[in-house]
Amino acid sequence: MVEAGHFALVLAFVLALVQASLPLIGARIGDARLMAAGNSAALAGFLMTAIAFAVLTAAYVQSDFSLLNVFENSHSQKPLLYKFTGTWGNHEGSMLLWVLILTGFGALVALFGRNLPATLRANVLAVQGMIGAAFFLFILLTSNPFARLDPAPIEGQDLNPILQDVGLAIHPPLLYLGYVGFSICFSFAIAALIEGRIDAAWARWVRPWTLMAWIFLTGGIAMGSFWAYYELGWGGFWFWDPVENASFMPWLAGTALLHSAIVMEKRSALKIWTILLSILTFSLSLLGTFLVRSGVLTSVHAFATDPTRGVFILTILTVFVGGALALFAWRAQALAPGGLFQPISREGALVLNNLFLSTATATVFVGTLYPLLLEALTGDKISVGAPFFEATFGPLMVPLLIAVPFGPLLAWKRGDLWAAAQRLVFAFAGALLVTLVVALFIDRASVFAALGLGLGVWLVLGALTDLAMKAGLGKVGFAAARRRLAGLPRAAFGTALAHLGLGLTTLGVISVMSLETEHIITMKPGETTDVAGYELRFDGLQPHQGANYTEDRGVFALMADDGRTITQIVSSKRLYTARQMPTTEAGIATRGLSQLYVSLGDPTDDGGVVVRIWWKPFVTLIWIGSIVMMAGGTLSLSDRRLRVGAPSPRKTAVTPVPAE
Amino acid sequence: MLLWLTIAFLTAAASLAVLLPLASRRGELAGATEHDLEVYKDQLAELERDAARGLIGGEEAEQAKAEIGRRILRIAGGTQAVDGVQGARRTRVIAAAAVLAVPLLSWGLYAVLGSPDLADQPLQARMSKDPSDSTADELVRRAEEHLRANPSDGRGWDVLAPIYLRMNRPAESVTAYRNAMRLLGATARRESGLGEALVADAGGVVTAEAAEAFERALQHDRADPKSRFFLASAMAQEGRLDEAADAWRRLARDMPQDSPWQGVVAAALEQAGEMTAAQDETMPGPTREDIEAASDLDVEGRAEMIEGMVARLDARLRENPADLEGWQRLVRSYLVLGRKDDALAALERGIAALGAEGGDAAETLRNFAAQQGLQAD
Repeated sequence: MVEAGHFALVLAFVLALVQASLPLIGARIGDARLMAAGNSAALAGFLMTAIAFAVLTAAYVQSDFSLLNVFENSHSQKPLLYKFTGTWGNHEGSMLLWVLILTGFGALVALFGRNLPATLRANVLAVQGMIGAAFFLFILLTSNPFARLDPAPIEGQDLNPILQDVGLAIHPPLLYLGYVGFSICFSFAIAALIEGRIDAAWARWVRPWTLMAWIFLTGGIAMGSFWAYYELGWGGFWFWDPVENASFMPWLAGTALLHSAIVMEKRSALKIWTILLSILTFSLSLLGTFLVRSGVLTSVHAFATDPTRGVFILTILTVFVGGALALFAWRAQALAPGGLFQPISREGALVLNNLFLSTATATVFVGTLYPLLLEALTGDKISVGAPFFEATFGPLMVPLLIAVPFGPLLAWKRGDLWAAAQRLVFAFAGALLVTLVVALFIDRASVFAALGLGLGVWLVLGALTDLAMKAGLGKVGFAAARRRLAGLPRAAFGTALAHLGLGLTTLGVISVMSLETEHIITMKPGETTDVAGYELRFDGLQPHQGANYTEDRGVFALMADDGRTITQIVSSKRLYTARQMPTTEAGIATRGLSQLYVSLGDPTDDGGVVVRIWWKPFVTLIWIGSIVMMAGGTLSLSDRRLRVGAPSPRKTAVTPVPAE
Repeated sequence: MLLWLTIAFLTAAASLAVLLPLASRRGELAGATEHDLEVYKDQLAELERDAARGLIGGEEAEQAKAEIGRRILRIAGGTQAVDGVQGARRTRVIAAAAVLAVPLLSWGLYAVLGSPDLADQPLQARMSKDPSDSTADELVRRAEEHLRANPSDGRGWDVLAPIYLRMNRPAESVTAYRNAMRLLGATARRESGLGEALVADAGGVVTAEAAEAFERALQHDRADPKSRFFLASAMAQEGRLDEAADAWRRLARDMPQDSPWQGVVAAALEQAGEMTAAQDETMPGPTREDIEAASDLDVEGRAEMIEGMVARLDARLRENPADLEGWQRLVRSYLVLGRKDDALAALERGIAALGAEGGDAAETLRNFAAQQGLQAD
């Protein structure tokens, strides 16, 4: 039923057009039926996209090589899981996943948007429909996953081996849920600008969507980093690679948006910030899509030879961002000023947060795009790598991270910095202690390690202080404090957990950056080496035949001081036969929060093999911290204040408004 | 037929999704004001909860309450409730346009983009259909499936090996010949087939490995024409054109007149003749004198002379780099001499030089080298 899937995709495009127009007209002229058509068009559009996606997945699972897309990216001998995930492990399929999630969010608004005013919901759906229509057209005209081959080849060209991993099952869907989730915030912002009503109520309606997208994006980025860590075989967790930056920029802007929307909800202030951040975050998502999907990253010249896709996305980007900003400029005067506040206050702290996060976004933006621009203009290829980002992004983050524990302790409108500082004295003492311990006993040379780890502890203890203060610890008895803690709204736990997670991630990052050790040695079977208080014995290479690859497995035994074997580490070099492409599978042993990372190099002539061994102290905290952040977001999302009820329709008949 | 039914069904579903809400008579939707009120009431309730828990001070709570109160007052003037009755005619026109647009646009677009006459081709179904309907690809594939299940079926490998070669999949042909010989034993036909597959895999070069296979074939059958032909080609490739021509002539004499190899040998001889003539006239390659001189030299001297010729070719290409054939010969010469690094350097210089000229000469050179097992970065 390949062609039925193709037709469903065409229908989804047409439904997106309907969704983009009818509710918009309906909201304009106040016609409830036209607005309601937007709901059902959104639902039907999602259904059609889901059918198209299911058909493509079925074609992958059944190895139907009459589809060009399946032929280019699959192989009949590939394990079943990778036949499923291979559906989105390529350009066309991933774009289909993109619109599937986009229409999915539209369907959610249609289903659960009953608490929204009808016109707002209609306009949100209309904007969502416009984005959808643009991307459906992009898919149909430049990246059609349903392009056919006749006659059909008998075997496919296989999926890029690096993608043949469970990571592909989790990372792109999560990332896209985040990326595309911010389209809802964008649609809400545009809808509010169209209506000219932007107030505290709007902020509360948009908040759950922002939170949801942020949670997914956090998870997607963390998963991507973990995947790169264990799959690429050189032990890094973040490379400041343009593709990574493309997902990091929306995260930074989205984090600012998340905080800004709180102020708008509580105080009806920071409206301009919030609207602009909504537009900016999704624009950065679109930019990321352009960077990754146009091929401009592989080479500016490759882009220049086949610019169809890139130019198409660039046009979409320009129209939506330009249109949004124009609408904003037109409506900006209409924004009623919100509540006033002192510089030292919760609002003030969040403005500071916005400033730092926006500047950090700009830094990453420049570092990512400058090399591309330079190459396009002069042809010079330069590489802006980690040093640039460490020198710019790093220093920007330090004051922000220092300030984080203060924020939740400041009162709205007018805060007392001195009182907040007094409450944080325990957190400060803890941070100082860790700094001294690290400086004196662990690594006497590295000021960076000492201060950095102190900073991480400061964040963690600061988040705990926030909870303790809210529970009234110290003011009331312990039992009373426990009762009060249990009675706190979930959002309070959400804030504390998210900040705590940030602290854990910081600890992990700093620890790996400053305290990691690396050995590169040649080992022969039976030889041992000392790593971080353990002994590692190389037991030899064993050939092994996988489903669609052959590999040499290097087997290592990790032993404690007393010679007892703790665990076995298997690190291998694979050759994927269909593409004749080698990959390295790292061997990782987790000890507590730290990991031993073993990667195989080339064999030497005398029967040995080059082995790279890293000891990565507290590396798992990077991802544990991200999970804690996600948990914080989820708790916040489940807070009952986000479940605003819908007003019951009026009992009495509506007073007819005279027709114009 | 099923496809068209499905398409009709999907179209109907999509049209209905647009049509139904438009056709329904409902006009009771709460206005924006009520929604706002709902939020503010909720905020007030939350405020009271927070105040009761002591999360915010009494004064702060009062201020916040007043602020929310002001918001409520601001919207109290209110916007009008949304209503479904007004503008019924305009709605009807828009509705009709939208409902019509769904089938018209989707069918129109699909007519341009789709391929409704192409059936699905899931691999499983292709493997299990009647063999007489299958394409060659599919038959080979079935044989492969069979051999994957019964890898010790020597006859299967034996049948598949020459088919692979004909389908231009030489590497698989090599494997198949080796398996057939492992299971069924070596024959002249299998050994020479293996040699031919190896030659094809090396891009037409008779490698040492291929030559050994041909030699083994001749041990089984001294008259095997394929082996004799390729062994002569090997001489030609080494520049021993006269010896090669002699060998081919002897082969033509020994074979029956109706042998399919007669044509091939004749063509090879003709080409060899042309090449010999060309060598006499132009500078590239060894001259007749060179070769005659070479035959008088001992092994060391001959190697020296070959090195000299390669160096000359190298120097000529530095002056006149737009010569695809020259680069190919240089790369191969270095490879034959076992100077892999020089070969790689030559390949890269060649790609750079030819790439600057434009066209796909650089790509041709790259592919040529790849066939010899040399990869440029």
